[in-house]
Amino acid sequence: MTHDDHPRDDGPGQAAADERTKPDDGSPRTDGGRATDGGHAGATGELPATGPAEEEHHGFPPMSSVKRWFVTTNHKDVGILYIVTSLLFLVFGGVLALLMRVQLWAPRAAGEGILSALAYNQSVSIHGLIMVFWFLSPFAFGFANYVVPLQIGAKDLAFPRLNALSYWLYLFSGLLLGISFFQGGSFAGGWTMYAPLNIPAYTPSIGASTAILALLLFVVSVTVSSVNFLTSMHRMRAEGLTLRKLPLFTWSILLTVWMMLFAFAALLAALMILSADRLAGTTYFAAADAGGSLLWTHLFWFFGHPEVYIVFFPALGVMAETFQTFTGRRLVGRKWFIASMLLVALQSFVVWMHHMFLTSINLQIKTLFMATTIGISLPFDLMVFSLIYTTIKGRIRFLTPFLFSFGALLLFIIGGITGVFLGAVVLDYEFRGTYWVVAHFHYVMVAGVTALIGGLYYWYPKITGKMYDEFLGKVHFALYFVGFNLLYFPMFVVWETPRRVFEYDPAFAPWHKVATVGGFVLGASFLVMFYNLYTSLWAGEDADSSPWAHSTTAEWAIPSPPPLENYPGIPSYGDGSLSFLDRLGGSDRAADGGEVTDGVDVAGDHATDGGVADDRRATDGGTVATADPATAVERAGGKSHEHDAGDHGEGHGPSHASIWPFAVSVGAFLTLLGLSGLQEGAFAPGLEGGLYMALTGVGFLVGMASLVAFGRERFHGLEGPFGESWPFEGIENTKTGVWIFLASDVVLFGAFIGSYVFMRVASGWTTWEIVPGDPLPGLMNTYLLLTSSFTVVLALVAAEKGSRGGVIASLLTTFLLGVGFLFNKGIEWDHLFHEGLWLDTNVQASTFFLTTGLHAGHVIAGLIVTLYLIVRAWQGAYLEDSGSIEYFGLYWHFVDIVWLFLFPLFYIL
Amino acid sequence: MIGGGTLLGAPLIAAQTDIIPRGSRSAVFNQIYWVFLVLGTLVGVIVIGYMLYNAYKYRAGRAAGSERSAESGEGGPALGELPQGSGGGRKLALSFTLSAVIVISLILWTYGTLLYVESPPDAEESMEVEVIGFQFGWEFVYPNGNTTTGTLRVPTGERVRLRVTSRDVFHNFGIAELEAKADAIPGQYTDTWFIANESGTYQAQCYELCGAGHSYMNATVVAMEPAAFERWYANTTPANGTTNASPEDAATTTASTNHGAKADVAAAPGATAPRAAALETNAAEASAERSLAR
Amino acid sequence: MVSTKLYAAIYVVLFVFATVQVVVEEIGLLEEAYWLAFGLIIALSLIKALFVAGYYQHLRYEPRSLTYLLLGGLLAALALTIASSYSVT
Ligand code: HEM
Ligand SMILES: [Cu+2]
Ligand SMILES: [Cu+2]
Repeated sequence: MTHDDHPRDDGPGQAAADERTKPDDGSPRTDGGRATDGGHAGATGELPATGPAEEEHHGFPPMSSVKRWFVTTNHKDVGILYIVTSLLFLVFGGVLALLMRVQLWAPRAAGEGILSALAYNQSVSIHGLIMVFWFLSPFAFGFANYVVPLQIGAKDLAFPRLNALSYWLYLFSGLLLGISFFQGGSFAGGWTMYAPLNIPAYTPSIGASTAILALLLFVVSVTVSSVNFLTSMHRMRAEGLTLRKLPLFTWSILLTVWMMLFAFAALLAALMILSADRLAGTTYFAAADAGGSLLWTHLFWFFGHPEVYIVFFPALGVMAETFQTFTGRRLVGRKWFIASMLLVALQSFVVWMHHMFLTSINLQIKTLFMATTIGISLPFDLMVFSLIYTTIKGRIRFLTPFLFSFGALLLFIIGGITGVFLGAVVLDYEFRGTYWVVAHFHYVMVAGVTALIGGLYYWYPKITGKMYDEFLGKVHFALYFVGFNLLYFPMFVVWETPRRVFEYDPAFAPWHKVATVGGFVLGASFLVMFYNLYTSLWAGEDADSSPWAHSTTAEWAIPSPPPLENYPGIPSYGDGSLSFLDRLGGSDRAADGGEVTDGVDVAGDHATDGGVADDRRATDGGTVATADPATAVERAGGKSHEHDAGDHGEGHGPSHASIWPFAVSVGAFLTLLGLSGLQEGAFAPGLEGGLYMALTGVGFLVGMASLVAFGRERFHGLEGPFGESWPFEGIENTKTGVWIFLASDVVLFGAFIGSYVFMRVASGWTTWEIVPGDPLPGLMNTYLLLTSSFTVVLALVAAEKGSRGGVIASLLTTFLLGVGFLFNKGIEWDHLFHEGLWLDTNVQASTFFLTTGLHAGHVIAGLIVTLYLIVRAWQGAYLEDSGSIEYFGLYWHFVDIVWLFLFPLFYIL
Repeated sequence: MIGGGTLLGAPLIAAQTDIIPRGSRSAVFNQIYWVFLVLGTLVGVIVIGYMLYNAYKYRAGRAAGSERSAESGEGGPALGELPQGSGGGRKLALSFTLSAVIVISLILWTYGTLLYVESPPDAEESMEVEVIGFQFGWEFVYPNGNTTTGTLRVPTGERVRLRVTSRDVFHNFGIAELEAKADAIPGQYTDTWFIANESGTYQAQCYELCGAGHSYMNATVVAMEPAAFERWYANTTPANGTTNASPEDAATTTASTNHGAKADVAAAPGATAPRAAALETNAAEASAERSLAR
Repeated sequence: MVSTKLYAAIYVVLFVFATVQVVVEEIGLLEEAYWLAFGLIIALSLIKALFVAGYYQHLRYEPRSLTYLLLGGLLAALALTIASSYSVT
């Protein structure tokens, strides 16, 4: 071991060594969870589905078992799944890219070359979509999953099952994308999906719809993931890890996730509208008069520009970490580095129109966005300099991870400089739609990929416990770097080639040939990597806890690979550096089942996870390690337990297995696959249409059943705080999560309302005809919804008073009022339909039906939850812990608030 | 807000009229492009050079097992420490300021040109042509109502204003050599202009993915001596379009009606036909696909 | 926390405000002075929203961070709406 003399290191290291020799009896020391769970034990008993899951809980299968990978919710497992899956998508996207490069070997007439025109367009589009969505971000989030909880000193994320759900939704969304190729061809309108090429009139294949739905599912996965990460990173940091003190990789992920939360909500809105246009026949994007195609560019780029940083920030984080580790110096101007990232993250939401300089936007707004765009480029200068200065006076070890990070910085500088060209609007006017843009964004984005590959080598020993082969690593880098520049630099030289064409000026051909060769060299370099990483799994040297000198972050202080529950004690930076607190003497904590200290006893009690079957070593009597009495009291008050999806287990220690995330995702997958067959709101008659309809039905049933099972499953997550939880101190995890989710929902509805306002302004605000002629049904619904909000408040009051009858009565009233709302709306819509107004009648009708329809969808979702709550309340739940009712109330009131704006906007004004 | 930009730029232009590039689009573009290219290369070489120099200078010795010995380096980051930075803030601030000054002044300089490019020329002194994109070709409507497809004729040495729109999907009309480009958006009009100083033919292309025929969505721009242009223009009428066109575009016109396939003036009509035919097949495929899918 | 009475009082206010919004339309103010009526109606919606968020969602009694969180989302949505609408004027 490198750090045998390191005081902090030998604890866990020893522990792991000891543990391996111990027999494993697979039984937890204490349980008690079941006993204290009495509150709803009866309820659980009725549901056979939870039985087996409960078994898993204590016999979590080993890594060698296939089953493990379907049920795992552990952040490290999920991280590995993300990394492996994203690399598969890299291969997929890479093959498409190579196909394009072959086509571009020479200028082609239509029908010449290996790809037809439509096949080429599909390749461009799906390559872009895969690389940006299904490869780059998930790759980064593989590391985020694995490393961030370790760096903040948490045993897992706040909602482990939601984390698994994110993964499975991601995987299935990717499968959906793959299937789209076999449904008459995939989407062929470019990754930017410009309108109106994106509607069925111009891209009619079913596969095109499937691709859009696949992206929609992906966005859902991202949203779930964002909520989870934000809750965890804010609420569950170790003592002493204030935000200022967070490691840089964690910082970069934190900002990435914040951007994701808001940006992807806008994309969700865009995709929902697009799906409605494609499947139900609304006419947003076909509405030329009202600026339908401009609307798409606004929605897309409002998401799209933050997305640029979303894919790049994690890479920056990796660079910062590896520069420090391999130069043996701390980052120069760390404070400024963080401030720069923060500034960029905020500003990224006000630069989107620089992608639209050639559209019909006015000069004032161009000027404004030109200014914000230069503004956002400056912080990057600072970050680049900061990284460069960090090398000065260091002792730089050029190991593979550093080579990649260093190379990434170099490429990023080139990407950045060529980006300044695009910031000059006059130049952008000419560069738009050419290979200058293609070269520029590849230099930026693939620089990000480069750094992340550095991250892969960096954390490979931690994740696998084996060292990769250093020589092959260097070979990979050499090939990669040469291939990269051969591929992309020529694109600057022949930048006048229009983008997304395969017929170009023959004079450019030599340069395009060089690029194609470069593409293959780059591709080959990955074969070296895959070979290296694969063989090292078996043949690599064992890695000790930290193979790198000068690594600082907490993941390096524990064995490689880390034990299932990460830490031998409660990690704390309370005294200025990392230490693991033991329990502070026995107490009766067992009774209240706080999760804070469980799973941790003495170091010797911990198993490494390398295939050992048992992981659950719940220990009793841990005491609150943090000195904060307020939080301790709050925890003891019984409010802080697992509220995941409404069920509250009180057992000890976190669970790690649940099959339901997988099952829910299967349901979602089937549903969307079925829905792809919809056109103009109906399935085609005949066998094929029937098949699609059946798929939708089956998928919906599977999904709903799994969701219910998910909700009922007793799953013990973690509840903070463990130290730092700014700025959400005193707000339980679930509540924090609900609020964060609502913030993204604000953006979703905001984007829908914004779309309406935009369309209306574009076609003349006051000349716009309001769809429902009569505001009274709307007013009725306002009354109903307001009243239902009031009754939810009453339900909470009743729960706090301990009145079971009161809870049930109030919830029941809420339910009935909600149903009344829908019923009333149904009558109103029926009326409008009979007047001949349909979704596709005009933009006015489209915006009306879709926006209020989205709201109605929220109401329906709320009613389903209400039903669930009523059943549970009947069984006596919520009297001691009214959390679920409170959280549901937050959602319901939010839906109410949205209506308060929809009502005047769509009925009166 | 309104006019904020103009306010910002106006004194700049007034003060530095000579520095702000003006003239034809290509002249303007080239001046700015070259300044950017030279400065960008310079900055890139300096920064990357400095980066490589440092990397070389501060490399660790090739001592075997360097990971083991590296740790002994005095004062480096240590495992388990709370993250912190190291000094050097002043140098950082300095280089940051320098780079900010360069970037901001460059952009401000080009902003003057942007205002020039965006200021609409007098209606008197320029001709306005409406450009309508469609899958997959371009239609041009002259002030007198004359409409052509596939070929745009303009007088040399004069500003030509384009009002660009689309009949179906989002396209982008661009003439690379003349550095004019504008999105063609259904339901919207975008404006641009250019001056062709040399007579001859130029190629216009579509710069926004618009479907199967996108790669071939070209048009020809023929710049003619003003006198020749006047003669040609006087003979056109709204009703019969290009019937009076000079003989050499007959080929062009036929070829380009075939869904606006590549209308290469130099090529004989026969040569363009297969391409156009191939495209037709693609378009047919696309529509067949829809009915199949249902 | 807050008494049921206060909740009920707020409920009444919400009810009345919603009615007033429709009354504003019914008396024809929209035809007479569109933007005045517009401002009035939106303002009423805003006030209602603040009541629901502040009391029913008890944001008033929570750490301010939650309020800022939502304001962040709102700001993003407003930026999108206002800038995009302005861009086509
Ligand atoms: C690994 C990270 C990569 C990322 C994130 C990435 C991203 C993208 C994106 C977003 C597009 C635009 C697609 C569109 O216009 O709809 C694109 C286009 C393209 N990429 Fe990549 N790409 C990557 C790697 C590669 C590789 C390895 C190659 C070559 C072997 C390649 C070749 C191309 C080509 C030829 C285009 C089409 C350019 C055009 O005609 O507009 N890319 N890429
Ligand atoms: Cu951008
Ligand atoms: Cu095109």
